[in-house]
Amino acid sequence: MKEAHCDRSVPRENTLEANILRFILLLRQAGVRVSSSEALDAVKALTLVDLSQPSQARAALRGTLVKKAADLALFDRVFAMFFAPEEERLQRLGAWQEQKGLHRQKMQEAGRDLEFLGKQLSMTEQEMTVYANMPEQEKDRLKNYMDKTAGGKNVEEPFRPLLESVVKGSLSYWRKQLKEDLDLTPPPDTGDEELDSILAQAEGTGTGGRRGVSLLQEDMQNIPERDLPRARIILGKLAQQLINSISRRYRQSRRHQKLDLRRTIRENLQYGGTPFRLKYKSRRQQKPRLLLLCDVSGSMARYSSFVLQFIYSINTVVSHIESFVFAEHLEIITPHFARRQEFDATMVEIINKSRQWGGGTSVAAALQELQEKYEVVLKGNTVVIIVSDTKTTNLERALEELGRLRRRVKDVIWLNTLAEGERESLRTARLIGEEVRMFPCNTLADLEDIVRKKVLS
Amino acid sequence: MEMTLKELRDSFSRVGYICDEEVVLTVYLAIKLNKPILIEGPPGVGKTEMGKVLAEIFQTELIRLQCYEGLDENKALYEWNYQRQLLKIQISKETGMQADLEGDLFSPEYLLMRPLLKAISSEKRQVLLIDEVDKCDEEFEAFLFEVLSDFTVSVPELGTLKAKEIPIVILTSNNERELSDGLKRRCVFLYLDYPELQREIAIIRARIPGIEEKLTAQVARAVKALRESPDIKKKPSIAETLDWTRALLAMNADRLDPKVVSQTVNLLLKSKADLDAFRRHLGPGTLSEMAASS
Repeated sequence: MKEAHCDRSVPRENTLEANILRFILLLRQAGVRVSSSEALDAVKALTLVDLSQPSQARAALRGTLVKKAADLALFDRVFAMFFAPEEERLQRLGAWQEQKGLHRQKMQEAGRDLEFLGKQLSMTEQEMTVYANMPEQEKDRLKNYMDKTAGGKNVEEPFRPLLESVVKGSLSYWRKQLKEDLDLTPPPDTGDEELDSILAQAEGTGTGGRRGVSLLQEDMQNIPERDLPRARIILGKLAQQLINSISRRYRQSRRHQKLDLRRTIRENLQYGGTPFRLKYKSRRQQKPRLLLLCDVSGSMARYSSFVLQFIYSINTVVSHIESFVFAEHLEIITPHFARRQEFDATMVEIINKSRQWGGGTSVAAALQELQEKYEVVLKGNTVVIIVSDTKTTNLERALEELGRLRRRVKDVIWLNTLAEGERESLRTARLIGEEVRMFPCNTLADLEDIVRKKVLS
Repeated sequence: MEMTLKELRDSFSRVGYICDEEVVLTVYLAIKLNKPILIEGPPGVGKTEMGKVLAEIFQTELIRLQCYEGLDENKALYEWNYQRQLLKIQISKETGMQADLEGDLFSPEYLLMRPLLKAISSEKRQVLLIDEVDKCDEEFEAFLFEVLSDFTVSVPELGTLKAKEIPIVILTSNNERELSDGLKRRCVFLYLDYPELQREIAIIRARIPGIEEKLTAQVARAVKALRESPDIKKKPSIAETLDWTRALLAMNADRLDPKVVSQTVNLLLKSKADLDAFRRHLGPGTLSEMAASS
């Protein structure tokens, strides 16, 4: 988002067009998608309203530039800051410059500290930020260690990679420790300090301040308690959209259909054989039958709140979906949804009755059971959705069963809850990904992506 | 009919559509810029109503295209009146009149105009309401934004038809799926949310004249409390608020009390899960108390 084409040559004259362009640049940097044609519309719209009234200017820009309900709040914040009175803007700019200076200073210090034989260690900006935010005591310990290494006998340049990997290891530990209050997103840099100051404030980022990762980008297991209700609502909506996109029934348009000669002739006998009413062979596509398999084993425990919400949301939109949970064994949970109770009541019931929660994972056993006991739901139009982190025992057999299942049903889709780094490195994830279609589903943004790109339809 | 912002604002209140200044302004801009208005928002906040209201304000017919899965160009644009063509062929066979039959058969006389073509070919500026556009298929959406960007339609047998007057187009969406960027780009966007308390009171008053002030305020507060409750999934819409108010009037209630609320709450909450949640977390007693306290 930050590195998105930022045009640094936006004119700084104080004309209406220049200001609008700057404002649009700001919106784009903040993550709102604004196309050129929309920018043109905005300028046109502004010529139609009374600019002396801020509410009119705001409505004109809002209607033409923002096309997503979720972006409206962000727009309002950015608008209020961008068109704030001079005094407020200067104050914000001052505060920003000070903050930025402080950040620069911290980074320089970190650079000086992380040196070996007079040359800086090769560290990423994120690692430097982690170092800068470590407790002083820990910094000293790391510095001491480096000094000792450098001061040892026969210590020469070839030691550098070794030392670097030790320091990096320590920083990666601290990165995890500091997780909650560490902001690793680099400060905004559009080349226009005023825009930067607004961006920093609008997104809640700042140099070294609270992390600016929005709820959507957050690993679902790390979403703090207070954000849970909001996250659940978003998840619920996404789950519904996802199911809508899969279960949509496309009927072919009449032009592509075939004439049903037999029925046409019979129907038109009453008109003396003139083909007055044409009958077509209707080829209505059946809605796919959905089958949901959710991993509730120990490794998935921290996602369980979301998995449950996911299952619940899906079950409230579509009534004919068969849902299962699995860990070492498979358990059907569809009947619990039949009574149409509230989320909490349904979930308590499921958790109490189920013996799978927190067990070890055996995808193989679960899939085998599915194919043996629930054969009746595995049809040519069945789409199986599996939500799991792929960590399973007996991978070879799991792959075998997965292949067998895939050949029996229309499609098998795997929503992988592993975090980004782990996803590529874990062998199970790689191999399963070769067997079936797999999509990352670690953050709400991932899920949104799946829905938006319509990868499933 | 050209209209100034003030005239549009007055017309809205004249026909009883009570809304924020921003809504009026967005609609005004869309009309001036000749762009479709895409209205999103929760169900029952007056998205479809906007189309009806604009038709009333501009004194024209409302042409409505209801979208659904499987809607195709034939249903939206035009069809040839096959039966009539067939009859014509039969007649000309019997009477022996064969001159330029083909040209005749594909004349506007045999064209069945569907909403889009109707809106485009009209002499007068029409209001076209494309309802629940998120329900149609993506192919149709692509076709739609082609039509909406230049307001021309080509009928192979007749040639290209260009709109004489660009219609006022309202698209509504419940956000069942994300609409394509292309379609959004061509529209002016308006998000309608549930009204604020005071505005809801104004709406009830406008729609149900002669209602007592006290009851109106209590109804609006009760509905607001229900909408704000996180346990209730399907929030009561404005139409449901009005239905509820009418029911209360029919029961001669002059204020909300637990008994009346419990008898009529199913006019607001229409699923078992929501009714259960209401009884468990809020209850008729609490709701009437919340409504009574200002």
